[in-house]
Amino acid sequence: MLNRRQFSIATALSAGVLAFSSTRQVLAQAPQVARFRLPIDPEGLFNVQSISAVVSGVLGNYLLEGLVYLDADGKAQPWLAQSWQASEDGKEISFKLKDGKTFHDGTPFNAEAVKFHFDTILDPKSASPAKGIVGPLSKVETPDGMTVVFTFAKPFAPFINLLGQSYFGFNSPTAVRLAGDAYPRKPVGTGPFMFDKWVPGASIELIRNPNFKQFRPDATNQGQPYLDRIVLNVLTEDGVVTSALMTEELDAASLTADGVVPFAADDRYNIINDQNAKNLMFMEFNYKKAPFGDLAFREAISHAIDREAVLAAAFGGNGKIALGPLSRGIPGYDDKVAEAYGTPYDPEKAKQLFDAAGWVMKDGIRTKDGMPAKFSIRSYASSTTERALAVIQANLADIGIVVDVGTADWGSFYPGLLKPDWDMALNRWTWSDPSVMSQLFRSPGHRQLLPANPAIDTALDSADTALDPQKRMAFVSDAQKAILEDRRILPLLTDWPITVNRKVLEGYHFDYLGYLYAGDLKIAAA
Amino acid sequence: MLQYVARRLLLLIPVVIGILLVTFLMKALIPTDAVTAIYSGTLSEKDAAEAIATLRAKYHLDLPWYQQFYIYVRDLMSGDFGESIRLRKPVMDELGYRYVNTIILTLAALAIALVVGLTTGILAAVKRNSWLDVTATTIGLFGISMPAFFFGLLLILVFAVWLRWLPVVPRGTMALLLPAVALGLIEAAPISQVARTSMIDVLGRDYIQAARARGASEFALVVRHALPNALIVVLTLVGLQIGNLLGGAFIIEAIFGWHGIGELAVNAIEWRDFTLTQAIILISAATYLVVNLVADILYAWLDPRVELNS
Repeated sequence: MLNRRQFSIATALSAGVLAFSSTRQVLAQAPQVARFRLPIDPEGLFNVQSISAVVSGVLGNYLLEGLVYLDADGKAQPWLAQSWQASEDGKEISFKLKDGKTFHDGTPFNAEAVKFHFDTILDPKSASPAKGIVGPLSKVETPDGMTVVFTFAKPFAPFINLLGQSYFGFNSPTAVRLAGDAYPRKPVGTGPFMFDKWVPGASIELIRNPNFKQFRPDATNQGQPYLDRIVLNVLTEDGVVTSALMTEELDAASLTADGVVPFAADDRYNIINDQNAKNLMFMEFNYKKAPFGDLAFREAISHAIDREAVLAAAFGGNGKIALGPLSRGIPGYDDKVAEAYGTPYDPEKAKQLFDAAGWVMKDGIRTKDGMPAKFSIRSYASSTTERALAVIQANLADIGIVVDVGTADWGSFYPGLLKPDWDMALNRWTWSDPSVMSQLFRSPGHRQLLPANPAIDTALDSADTALDPQKRMAFVSDAQKAILEDRRILPLLTDWPITVNRKVLEGYHFDYLGYLYAGDLKIAAA
Repeated sequence: MLQYVARRLLLLIPVVIGILLVTFLMKALIPTDAVTAIYSGTLSEKDAAEAIATLRAKYHLDLPWYQQFYIYVRDLMSGDFGESIRLRKPVMDELGYRYVNTIILTLAALAIALVVGLTTGILAAVKRNSWLDVTATTIGLFGISMPAFFFGLLLILVFAVWLRWLPVVPRGTMALLLPAVALGLIEAAPISQVARTSMIDVLGRDYIQAARARGASEFALVVRHALPNALIVVLTLVGLQIGNLLGGAFIIEAIFGWHGIGELAVNAIEWRDFTLTQAIILISAATYLVVNLVADILYAWLDPRVELNS
């Protein structure tokens, strides 16, 4: 045993050894490895259990494939499906599958795999968040090994396009059954890359699928994927991501408008602005709380917000202001309706409308029947919403409306809107199909607080059941008009997500839904 | 001695129960839970209501807080920390490796703090009022005043982005260096100051003068005669500082993307994953208490004048 003096000296010495003994890391990477970022360590890579953006991204970019993909115009094209046919009454859709696809575990892709996926989603025991997306789907049958028939309680028009989402990419039923609860940690699909290893909390690594067959004609590379390995590093902090792009430890990443600044003038990087973005930032009103149930009030407030200023403050101007209730990037967006029925920024008009509605100025604040115009706006916590709220607050103050702004993280903010005690909310939604309007704005609405409105509800229901694309889009236009006429929401803007990639990473491009063409990725020879 | 340790360990139990009770009460005050948070905004609110109810029942979230508390403590007694709702796996599976990561970071930082703090402190004391002393004291002042998050970003900028000596992405052993330096250097400042003061005090004592009179070399005087006694005071400080280091590690982990319990704590709170949050609080508190106990015992061992009876 050490005596006291020896102990003291040993402590000091071992501290020194600890501090200076670190092995040299080999910085050189094999040539065909690409390194990307994951903003969080996913809870599991199983699209039945999780449909978060991160999970969907990993699955859709690299591991899984679906029945259809969406082409550059947003139209569904056959992928693992050969063709499809809807029944006369629109309640049945039958798919013929292509031959010759195998899962990473060697088992064949067939009708059983498709049925297995949808049956698992429909099973209440799986508590699948994807269940809400399949709408009135009631059963899936397989008349033969390569045919799948979907049956719906009522016609469901968004279905074909939704099949392009990675929630409906296919997992090997054999692998799911074998692995049981462990499956989400070792997913098995048919995509260009296969799962290799997962270092919990730190990284997920994928390797090339040596038996890959490309079934998508829109991919540049119709042969084997070029990359040997893909490393997805879990990096929660945006600051680390910016630094790691600079130090070339990452080959590509999404960044905010602020984060992209250091790369703008650097010719070693490409910056991609997704001008086809499918998000919409909007303000919504609580109809159950006075005076927001009053159309005249909503009408007046709808002219009070300077969208260009919001866009500049929140996204550095990287995006486009929106007058319509559907994002420009979603099929069915109607520019004419947005122009004709939208509410451009016009503070003078807003003031007149408030005056006419009986909200008169008194000591710098509007008042009606003794009620001062003092309200609150809630949103989820993020630098973009906080900056947007600052502009909105100032705009409303200019016309005599005093608002309190408050943000909370999504887990508190969003469920909180189910309680009818809020006034206004600032929200942002991303979706690929016009059916998003039914999810959000058809009574009773996504927060269960919207009153019935026959014009809106009928147009949306018709759009969701019209299988003929042309007829469907006409209903989608009607719905946009009805939503604007009711001033159901105040559309603000669509921001363009930004990605930065090192130029040595070639073939870095995305499809209509924002999935990577992973088979096209290649590291250029130095 | 053994009796003292046993008593201190027994005292841990009411402290831990107290901590648990406080976190459970906080949980009762927060309106949402992990299950609701998972299904928020998945566009399936109506359809997922059934699923939410199933999961809430599975995790006992439908019971009043005191019943949840009872179930939690009962499971804890049998060593079961519960399952993380968000990660869909036992809490200990996730906490285990992250705890190790945080401990590695903390120990490395402590090592750096000790080496730098002691070296500068002793040199400053020996060469009192020289330029070395002034420099060390000034740098120490910066260290005490510098917030960890700022210092961390500065280190990343200089050593990773400009010089390219060290990686940013936490992969490999070298990746430990920057966060450990960021955390360690800040804690080195108080160690240096205490070491300096304590050393000056010891060097002025009679027994040092006596040793010098007997012809001991200056090096032997400092290292063999003065240092062990000066270190006793430093050790008390280090015991307290490990708590600081653990707290500081939470911030440093966020800045450097280090996958420890700090990073997990931030996520767990955001996810409303209380099983996970509770386990993190519990483990952090237990670590803190044990470290303090060990420091007290070492203190008594190093300084025979201290007795562990009270």
